[in-house]
Amino acid sequence: MSHQRYPSMDPVKEPHSVSLKVLRLSRPSLVAQHTLAAPSELQPTTGAAPDDLVPASLAYRSTAGTNPDPFLLTPILNLPPSFGSAYVGETFSCTLCANQDIPPEPPATAQTPAKVQPQKKSIRDVKIEAEMKTPGSASAQKLLLGPHGDDGTPAATAEATGAAADAAGAGGVDLEPGQTLQKIVNFDLKEEGNHVLAVTVSYYEATETSGRTRTFRKLYQFVCKGSLIVRTKVGPLPYNTATTRKVPKPAEDDENKQLRQKRRWIMEAQLENCSEDAMQLERVVLNLETGLRYRDANWIVSESPRPVLHPGEVEQVCFVVEEDGKGSAVVEDSDGRVVFGVLGIGWRTEMGNRGFLSTGKLGARNTR
Amino acid sequence: MVHIADIFGWLAARPRSATKGPLDADEASTPSGIVPVTERDFSHLLRPEIFHQLSPLSIPPPFRNTTKQPTPETPIAELLAHGQFRAAAIASVQALTSSPVSATIAAAHPPVDPSDYARVFSLFYIRLACLCLIDSMPLAAQEAKALEDLNQAYYLDPITGAHLMPWELRLLAIRLQTIGFGDPRRAIMSYYDMAREAHLQIGKAAKAHENTDLELWKRRLVELGIKVGGALIEMEDLAGAAAHMATLRDTAQDGKLATAKALLWLHLGDVDAASRCVRDGKGGPVCEKVVLALVDMANGHFEDGLKKWTELKAELEENGIQDEMVGANLAVCLLYLGRMQEGRQILESLVDEGQSSRTLLFNLSTMYELCTDRAKALKARLADRVSNLEPTSHGWEKTNADFKL
Repeated sequence: MSHQRYPSMDPVKEPHSVSLKVLRLSRPSLVAQHTLAAPSELQPTTGAAPDDLVPASLAYRSTAGTNPDPFLLTPILNLPPSFGSAYVGETFSCTLCANQDIPPEPPATAQTPAKVQPQKKSIRDVKIEAEMKTPGSASAQKLLLGPHGDDGTPAATAEATGAAADAAGAGGVDLEPGQTLQKIVNFDLKEEGNHVLAVTVSYYEATETSGRTRTFRKLYQFVCKGSLIVRTKVGPLPYNTATTRKVPKPAEDDENKQLRQKRRWIMEAQLENCSEDAMQLERVVLNLETGLRYRDANWIVSESPRPVLHPGEVEQVCFVVEEDGKGSAVVEDSDGRVVFGVLGIGWRTEMGNRGFLSTGKLGARNTR
Repeated sequence: MVHIADIFGWLAARPRSATKGPLDADEASTPSGIVPVTERDFSHLLRPEIFHQLSPLSIPPPFRNTTKQPTPETPIAELLAHGQFRAAAIASVQALTSSPVSATIAAAHPPVDPSDYARVFSLFYIRLACLCLIDSMPLAAQEAKALEDLNQAYYLDPITGAHLMPWELRLLAIRLQTIGFGDPRRAIMSYYDMAREAHLQIGKAAKAHENTDLELWKRRLVELGIKVGGALIEMEDLAGAAAHMATLRDTAQDGKLATAKALLWLHLGDVDAASRCVRDGKGGPVCEKVVLALVDMANGHFEDGLKKWTELKAELEENGIQDEMVGANLAVCLLYLGRMQEGRQILESLVDEGQSSRTLLFNLSTMYELCTDRAKALKARLADRVSNLEPTSHGWEKTNADFKL
């Protein structure tokens, strides 16, 4: 994520008393360890048993036996080391930290007499605002700032501490030296291309004799990439005569032949992982229009494990779509095309990071 | 080149005689038909050009300028016991290349005899292992290339067919050569070769009622199975790793394998499968809680995760059990909830307690970066604090990268 300081709207040429720091909060990752056996020559001297491990080769210290050594992965979590890649379908999370960051006063020397020393400043009413500019929209979208409880839902109790205590509302907070106002943004990525996160920090800088409101803005730009390519194909199936026979013959039968002979289609979709990470498909579902129902013909039916797609791999899924025969007519567009609805695909990547995509309206050509 | 598996295959195919006669030895030496072990010269592993210079510039100044730095005469065993791995890496090369700078150092690290293969390999292992421990794995991967084909007949005892290298060196060299030659599949093939050897040794030990040997080789076989899983993860074949891990039998029943499987599923993103692995006490009470707290975090339920970590931390402390991971993960959870200041305090208290894992320092340094524009001063102060910790076998000296400096 590249960032730049927006040309200052602030007429004052002094350095700001508040600094802004950001970190993208992708999921934290499990730390890998490469365990090493204690050198056998030294075992008699160190009292190590054969095949004992060098303690320093373990990812962390524990007497609780939580480390599954000599396995590669360990339960200790690393914060995201870098921005990584952003993909359509994921939720972009980012923490914004506004810090009271007045530089420590330089020691008084002959060149800087005491009268030039800056006055003691206090920082009040610090506020953070954030907007996201997406490639498809003309204007930026204002973002709701957390602390959120769980994935987007606002925290039930605002039991934040210190500086962040009353930050939940729109009002700003006062920051003592070294204190931080921390906020979290969540944004669902839906478009490929350039995104710009614009963060504005405003605060009131008060000295003993005067005060002023100051503002600065920082822009963080990143590219969102496609993660999944979906190709679909719909083909007609013969009428489902087996089930129609079971249907008792009501009076309306003669009126509506279509009901008795339910139309059926097969819908296939190829899902290609075009990201750089492995993903596990969690669910693939059809959200159908009224008058239609479907049967899943994929891993749940065959009781297979959820498919894992490594980068570049393709999973083929298949559904049988049919008229539900409950009387409500299926939706057809002006060309007589039967509109099915949308295909929704949910997946998980490393450490449970979620992704979800849904296609545009899918449908079948009229086969009557 | 004689493949080790071929030799074992040949030994296995041979009808077994009840007692070893003089003919047996002759017969066994025929297939390789080369120099006896005691006369073999390993000076090609002692060439100075194999080994890299280690720059002290990657070490933060507080670690360089302290009385805790060992003297050049400190014996290697003592260096290892005090976690002085950079010094041990240097000392082992002085012994290997017969290049001590002074007579006192020569006395501390006596030059190795090129035919003393046990000492050559032991020093070589210390060198490579220490490079890995000081975060210089790329150098270790280059140096491990000098061992060349690990299965060549020159490394085998012509009579017993036993490998002359210590087991741990072979395991390490396989991984390093995999990195050095950029061929990840190599590790998996080699681990399978070693597993075949372990199977044969288990059979032999069982027949001879050598229980110590039997246990040793069984343990090695189990470890190899787990290493294959790790190698598949490093190849990013996560589905393959999951399939492989499912085939491993949980002989120890100590919850480690269950936890390992759960972590792999979490890494892959399948939280349901991860929970299933530790359910019904399969992972032991503590590991089950650990995995379930990680599952909460993977689901984005950080409040629930925080509750679990907090409870677990209190529970362990009550019983006098230390676990750096629980505190460190609690702090990560706090950051994701917008409570970084509390997280930072927890990490700092862990450092005060004497913990200094790479992850702990990395996460704390990351929080410092978020706290101020002048994180460098905070990181330098952290480096100073860590340098004042007592050197133990858990490692002492850190690199600039550990503090994101």
